[in-house]
Amino acid sequence: MDFGFVELSAQDRALQQEIREFLAELFTPDVFALEHETGSGFNAKVYEALGARGWLYPSLPVEQGGAGFTALQNRIMELELDRQDARVMMMKGTSSLPMAAIRKYMPAEIADPILKECAAGRAVVCLGYSEPDGGSDIANAKVRAVQDGEMWAINGSKMWTTGAHISTYTFLITRTDPEAPKHKGITMFLVPLHSEGVTIQAIRTFSGERTNIVFYEDVQVHDSMRIGGVNNGWTVLHGPLDEEHSIGIDSNGGLTDVSVGVSFSRVLGASINEVAQWALKTASADGKSMAEDTRVLERLGSAMVDYEAGMCTPGPMGRVKSSDGLVKQAAQLQDLVGPVGLLPMNAEGGIGVGDIEYAHRFAQGTATYGGTVEVFRTIIAQHVLGLPKAQLPGAKVFMAGKKK
Amino acid sequence: MDLVELRRHDYALDEISQEVLVAFGDFFRDQCPSSLVRESQPVGFSQELWDRLVEMGTTTMGLPESVGGDGAGMVELALVAEEFGRAVAPVPYIEHVVTSRALARANNPALADVIAAAANGSRILALASAPVMPGTKQLIPAGAIARDVLAMVGDALVLYSADTPPAHVPNQGSTPLAWWDLFSLPNRTVVATGEEALAIYTRAHDERMVLTASALVGLTEYALGLTVEFTKTRETMGVLISTLQGVAFPLTDIATNIAGARNIARKAAWFLDFDPETRPELPAIALVYAAQTATQGTQQAAHLQGGLGFTVENDISLYFLRSKGWGSLAGDPTAHLAAIGKHVLSSVN
Repeated sequence: MDFGFVELSAQDRALQQEIREFLAELFTPDVFALEHETGSGFNAKVYEALGARGWLYPSLPVEQGGAGFTALQNRIMELELDRQDARVMMMKGTSSLPMAAIRKYMPAEIADPILKECAAGRAVVCLGYSEPDGGSDIANAKVRAVQDGEMWAINGSKMWTTGAHISTYTFLITRTDPEAPKHKGITMFLVPLHSEGVTIQAIRTFSGERTNIVFYEDVQVHDSMRIGGVNNGWTVLHGPLDEEHSIGIDSNGGLTDVSVGVSFSRVLGASINEVAQWALKTASADGKSMAEDTRVLERLGSAMVDYEAGMCTPGPMGRVKSSDGLVKQAAQLQDLVGPVGLLPMNAEGGIGVGDIEYAHRFAQGTATYGGTVEVFRTIIAQHVLGLPKAQLPGAKVFMAGKKK
Repeated sequence: MDLVELRRHDYALDEISQEVLVAFGDFFRDQCPSSLVRESQPVGFSQELWDRLVEMGTTTMGLPESVGGDGAGMVELALVAEEFGRAVAPVPYIEHVVTSRALARANNPALADVIAAAANGSRILALASAPVMPGTKQLIPAGAIARDVLAMVGDALVLYSADTPPAHVPNQGSTPLAWWDLFSLPNRTVVATGEEALAIYTRAHDERMVLTASALVGLTEYALGLTVEFTKTRETMGVLISTLQGVAFPLTDIATNIAGARNIARKAAWFLDFDPETRPELPAIALVYAAQTATQGTQQAAHLQGGLGFTVENDISLYFLRSKGWGSLAGDPTAHLAAIGKHVLSSVN
């Protein structure tokens, strides 16, 4: 066990300082303002500036557009980015999942230039997983891909394609064999989003984040953009999905967070800091400092317990705990602060930078992002507790067109 | 607080720690079946088990080498506490270990005899939760089997001794609670005064919170296991009840809470060993979260066995009753929350 500060070599200390100064200059107020306005989880200036130094995916080798960072140097970069603003970096995290599949399953002559563009910050890949009539059950995809010679025609629509409007490609789940059991009839494609027949419509969420519905109408995609074998999509997906559901389990000498939900808990942490600062400079009705009010102390203590629980609960369990804790505590912190906690960023008389106002809205999405907490509870039930699988009617359905 | 500190989050146990965990897991499983827990009610003490635990070196492992101990840290002691809790063992492990460590920390020659007697297990020590006040009796954990109680009186830390412990008071957790009128006891030894006294007492209190948290983790995990097995064989309407989300999801929440509570308790133990100044609120966080985990976890674990989980004959009852019976001994969680809140304020000030 080790929770100590990481000892840095002179070289790494200098790198940490260089990164910190570079980011402080890069993350100007207009970056935050633009993100607040668009909710895109992306900023072209920031991505390209990082990409130009190989710092967007710095653990990639230099020849692949990275900076050849060690695990420790990569950790330094992640923490320094979190120090600035994790929201803008969302699409970096999203892209990294399909990038792994592209690297593994596409021929190098196709994959390499695409990955280089991604590493340079000029290309982003979004996830074309969920559909309008089904959320987390992504193996149930109905978007059709039909082959005609070297080309595939794609028809259907995808929901919750966050980042589609700023992405170059989407990592698309398609149905290629409607006769096969649902996991065995899907194929993955990397679809250029500027293709004819693609229509992207904004969906606004109350966290402020923008997501999209994407319509595919006879979209023509060359077979070279297929990722992995025909009808082998589930295997291709599994790599990145496993990565999405298990990031952090490998302890890596303690350089990785153990909880999958760390990014949710950090939002709670920022709210706790904001409320604590508010309490120290605010007087209650009887003239005493809020910092001496037991109501304030107990609520801050309670929020701190859930923050710590979110940070320390391992793996997918940490994802559930961080979300539950944030949902509960963001609401309670807002109650504690009162109406002033309802004021957004930069409002007159608002608190801090509006972290608690944001946290309460953002919290609700965390119960759904990347698979709902119920999906995760099902995973925990089966894989941690070894409980038997429920025999649900849709579990092994054959797709439309095939009768029993 | 700094949300992005470059610290390690390494929960991996080294070889020695793993050996401790296995050795004590085996010990309690072999030596402390639930029949022994039942036989030891209502006092909650088995002299035979205590003697075996002493033979295992449990009463010396946490003492410094200067007084003949093995110098083990809080991480190892917390691992033992987890296994002790898993067996809901009727022995005063936590009170005795933290109090004897506190006496050793005082470096006071007048305490040599009592420390030696504590080390060989012949004399059981306990820690008072509240300061000594005239005319006020205190319920002392392990007070019905201890001859010595360590308590703050004014700015002094004093060891109060009796020839025989007061009578046991039956209680929900079947622990050896007894009323002590410390103020009127003539036999007392001043352990330390002033800042030193407060520092030693605070440390002992922190250690008790962390070890109690670990014990509650083990306790809740065993209770969960009992219910998981039950739900894998019990059917309703033709399906196993464990396939129902109304059953499976509460079980996953207990497992989730246990996994987090275990990590927080071990982390708090590590900080007490290696960096006690930096996160002074961690022992309280560990205790509050583990107490919450145990209260909800054992309640749900009992409930998910339906009426059967409500019966005395079911071992789940032993676990449910001790979740509060042990958790409450280390103080009201809400009072701890306020203390944690104060640390939060000082971290941003």
